[in-house]
Amino acid sequence: MDMLKISHVGKRFGDKEVLRDLDFTVPKHTIYGFVGQNGAGKTTTMKLVLGLLSADHGEIFVDGEKVSFTNNRTNRFIGYLPDVPEFYSYMNPTEYLHFCGAITGMEANDCKMRTEEMLRLVGLDGEKHRIKGFSRGMKQRLGIAQALLSRPRLLICDEPTSALDPVGRKEILDILVSAREETTVLFSTHILSDVERICERFAFLHQGKILRQGSMEDLKKSCGETGFELELEQKEKLEKLMEHFPGGTRQGRRGVIYAQGKGQSMEAVLAWLLREQIKFTKIEKSGLTLESLFLEVVGK
Amino acid sequence: MSTFIAFWKKEWMELLRSGKFIIVLLIFALFGIMNPAIAKLTPWLMETMADSLQDTGLQVTTVTVDATTSWTQFYKNMPMALIVVVLLFGSMFTQEYQRGTLVLVLTKGYPRRNVYLVKTWMALFIWTICFWLSFVITWFYNSYYWDNGNTSNILPAAALFWLFGIWVLLLLVFFSTVFSETSGVLAGTGAIVLLSYVVTIFPNVQDFLPVKLLGAQGLLLESQVIGDYGQAVFVTVVVSAAAAIAGMLLFEKKRI
Ligand SMILES: Nc1ncnc2c1ncn2[C@@H]1O[C@H](COP(=O)(O)OP(=O)(O)OP(=O)(O)O)[C@@H](O)[C@H]1O
Ligand SMILES: [Mg+2]
Repeated sequence: MDMLKISHVGKRFGDKEVLRDLDFTVPKHTIYGFVGQNGAGKTTTMKLVLGLLSADHGEIFVDGEKVSFTNNRTNRFIGYLPDVPEFYSYMNPTEYLHFCGAITGMEANDCKMRTEEMLRLVGLDGEKHRIKGFSRGMKQRLGIAQALLSRPRLLICDEPTSALDPVGRKEILDILVSAREETTVLFSTHILSDVERICERFAFLHQGKILRQGSMEDLKKSCGETGFELELEQKEKLEKLMEHFPGGTRQGRRGVIYAQGKGQSMEAVLAWLLREQIKFTKIEKSGLTLESLFLEVVGK
Repeated sequence: MSTFIAFWKKEWMELLRSGKFIIVLLIFALFGIMNPAIAKLTPWLMETMADSLQDTGLQVTTVTVDATTSWTQFYKNMPMALIVVVLLFGSMFTQEYQRGTLVLVLTKGYPRRNVYLVKTWMALFIWTICFWLSFVITWFYNSYYWDNGNTSNILPAAALFWLFGIWVLLLLVFFSTVFSETSGVLAGTGAIVLLSYVVTIFPNVQDFLPVKLLGAQGLLLESQVIGDYGQAVFVTVVVSAAAAIAGMLLFEKKRI
């Protein structure tokens, strides 16, 4: 069963077509990465799911219920973290979470316990100051806490890690992973390593269209050989190497990169280097398969 | 019901912590005290000025003040107090639009109708308690210094002015669902009140206009009877209710 189903959705702002025939589904209990450049339409898609915007055509279903524009009933089981979350700045985090629990009809004791639990989870426990003075990263953490407070079935996060330092990013990603037990996560980002780290499925959005989607495993399989790069000790030998293995791009004075899909395997190059007794300082598989795919997909 | 109260609590916290509540409370209390004070001080002021006035050839007759003088002062000051309330509540919706704070509330599935009703109720509630606080203070001082018994229709006249305030505030709420900036809200409300003034130049519609309620002090002097205000009250109530309902419908579909 799918938690979220977006079916042939189109949306335009004035004469600008922002989403074209958008079509994808998010299965239950998956972490779904929603990747795209600035202005690709990620935030717009999320606002449609939340009923903050109305789609021009197409339908959206959350856990089988149809989404409607304004007073969207499916919002009761969605937790949402906007790209820039805005809170009542005169409250402190505890007061804000109590308020969130109360307006959603949470039972008072449960709300209290859950608030403490969530604040501990995001590292804001003991923070008694008002939200007014919070940094962006702190707001992002509080944003995650309020999104998870009422145990949502679907968690929608719009670039949850964009304002965080590297340690904070890892913490938040870990929270998302641990949340998967109880919920389904859809999160947008342009940090591809985040997607590789935690997502089981992903979709690439480009100019309002899904260009590629699937599971990370499929992606790895379909890509087969990944690219690699190496650096020789002497730059004179580089010419010879590149003649023997065409398709590389020079990088710096002594380096060369073989992108994925150029038909060269790292093992063959390595064997050749050893045979020819050419010394090298570095040889490395390119980790970011997603990034190269992304660049390829958007045609850059 | 408990979700209503939760949002109402939040509105209270906002009013208290932003200091807005204290401001309106003080202003209304101050006006309440000023009305009798000014009346009380008038003869004394006249006396001290009498000498200098006599030099200019003006004859000062002794003025007598009583509760009616103080009540007349009440109707001079209350419009100003109402303007303060309008300025403070003009941003109650727009501030949330601009800061985006409603997004998290609505995306939790909280009904828009509740947001609208609580905010509307809050504005009417604050106006009501502040207005009648000012009334009670004036009444208390008046009965201490003079005698309220010599002034007629004190309560009905005040109720008419209170109703005028309700009308203005419901217009304010209505325009808060039309415009997203405070300036638009205030301009819209001001324009309707002004228009209602301008129309009074036609003598036969005068009696039907909400602004007629502003002249309710005429009742104090028995030059008018309560019945004179029947049509104006009817129109005011109908327009207020229409504005409240229209605002609710618009808010349901407003893009936030
Ligand atoms: N309210 C609006 N009115 C007009 N155009 C809009 C509106 N909201 C978004 N757009 C346009 O829609 C396009 C998609 O915007 P969107 O915010 O969905 O992008 P995004 O993928 O979230 O980008 P980012 O990575 O920068 O957050 C942009 O070109 C933007 O200019
Ligand atoms: Mg965005």
